Amino acid sequence: MKKINYEFREKLNQTLGGFSHNYCYQCGACVADCPAHRFLPEFNPRAIILQALYGFEEELIGPDSMIWNCTNCYNCYERCPQAVNPIEVIIALKNMCREKGTNPPSVDNIIERVKSSGVTVTKTELVKRRRQELGLPEFEINCSDDLEKIFNK
Amino acid sequence: MQVMPFWGCMIPLKYPQMESAVRYSLTKLEIELVDDSRFSCCPDPIYFKAGDKMRWFTLAARNIAIAEERGLDIITMCSGCTATLCEVNHHLKHDEKLRDKINENLKSIGREYKGSIRVRHLVTMLRDDVGLEKIADSVKYRLENIKIAIHYGCHLLKPSEIMNVEDPLVPKILAELIRVTGATPVNHQEYLMCCGKACQEQQLSLNMSHAVFQSVADSEADCLGLICPTCFDSFDLGQLRVNRNFSKKFEIPVIYYFQLLALAQGASLENVGIKFHKIMPEEFIKRLNTTLVTA
Repeated sequence: MKKINYEFREKLNQTLGGFSHNYCYQCGACVADCPAHRFLPEFNPRAIILQALYGFEEELIGPDSMIWNCTNCYNCYERCPQAVNPIEVIIALKNMCREKGTNPPSVDNIIERVKSSGVTVTKTELVKRRRQELGLPEFEINCSDDLEKIFNK
Repeated sequence: MQVMPFWGCMIPLKYPQMESAVRYSLTKLEIELVDDSRFSCCPDPIYFKAGDKMRWFTLAARNIAIAEERGLDIITMCSGCTATLCEVNHHLKHDEKLRDKINENLKSIGREYKGSIRVRHLVTMLRDDVGLEKIADSVKYRLENIKIAIHYGCHLLKPSEIMNVEDPLVPKILAELIRVTGATPVNHQEYLMCCGKACQEQQLSLNMSHAVFQSVADSEADCLGLICPTCFDSFDLGQLRVNRNFSKKFEIPVIYYFQLLALAQGASLENVGIKFHKIMPEEFIKRLNTTLVTA
């Protein structure tokens, strides 16, 4: 039989946004209005919150975790009668994944792009030409000094 | 009226036709845009927030602090930027402990978050500060024969206690803004559906977009109207992927709301960059042209 992992529970409790699941009474209102669940029944916000209450580390922040299929729509946040905000708990769990190194590469890619260029989209010649054609000024980004300090802190 | 536009990444660097349309529309409404090149990415509310929440707060607070320095409100044109900047602004205004922590991080760059300005999506600012009547007055060609299926997207309205726009279960802001252009908003089955962009499994994203396309196709709409470049990405370029995946032939033109408004205000199809859209059936262009000429 699986055992409650108190250590993991405590770690999640201490993570920003990772405490409100303690108020969950498993009503399932979040499931009914979850678009990810509608098309992928294995993704179930109620079940994820239950796993958080048990502290099932591997299921939640292991490399095969379902949490990355959350579509970030905030329907669960709107529906929850207990203000559990399942999506924010899921985001706290995602941050724990990154600490553990089990997050999908897209997360590191986006953070790396912001770190190196200030933005997430690469400047291309095509769009530069389109901007000229539309009569728009060149798009300038002058934040590198600040960002370097913030990222190196 | 002066405001600071927060263009984000997707609009200026991927879909500049949206920026062009917004600039056109706001000139007509006598709103002055005060640009600032010091803004960084908002940063992204999905991946960046999922990977490094503290830096996500810090970078967003830095962006807001830049606008505070000038004493101007921020307007956002992308629902992702809206999500990040509104949420961070809300939490830092209400959570003193968190604000102190973030301001500690901002010290190294000589900035401070004060909580002195508002951040809103441009559609919210138009409804609340400009008013529907003034927008209607700016319309030159009423888009009488265009029916638009609305896609709200997620982050304009939710979480509602933070966004404070209206009830996300029965929103009407986009219908109202479409109506003042003379066009007809069309309610369709999946108008509150998510575009699916953030899911890791691609099939799941495609299933969500597919549901929206089927719903629009089953309605009488001529096009899909929205207010977010990420949703646009899922529905314009994404329509090719969905067609391939489901062996379908959807050909639904997708329009950013400010392209429609600018057209109604007198902009040309070139001004709003219609030709840069992947899905743009001849029939729809003809319909737009007839509207703009006969009006």
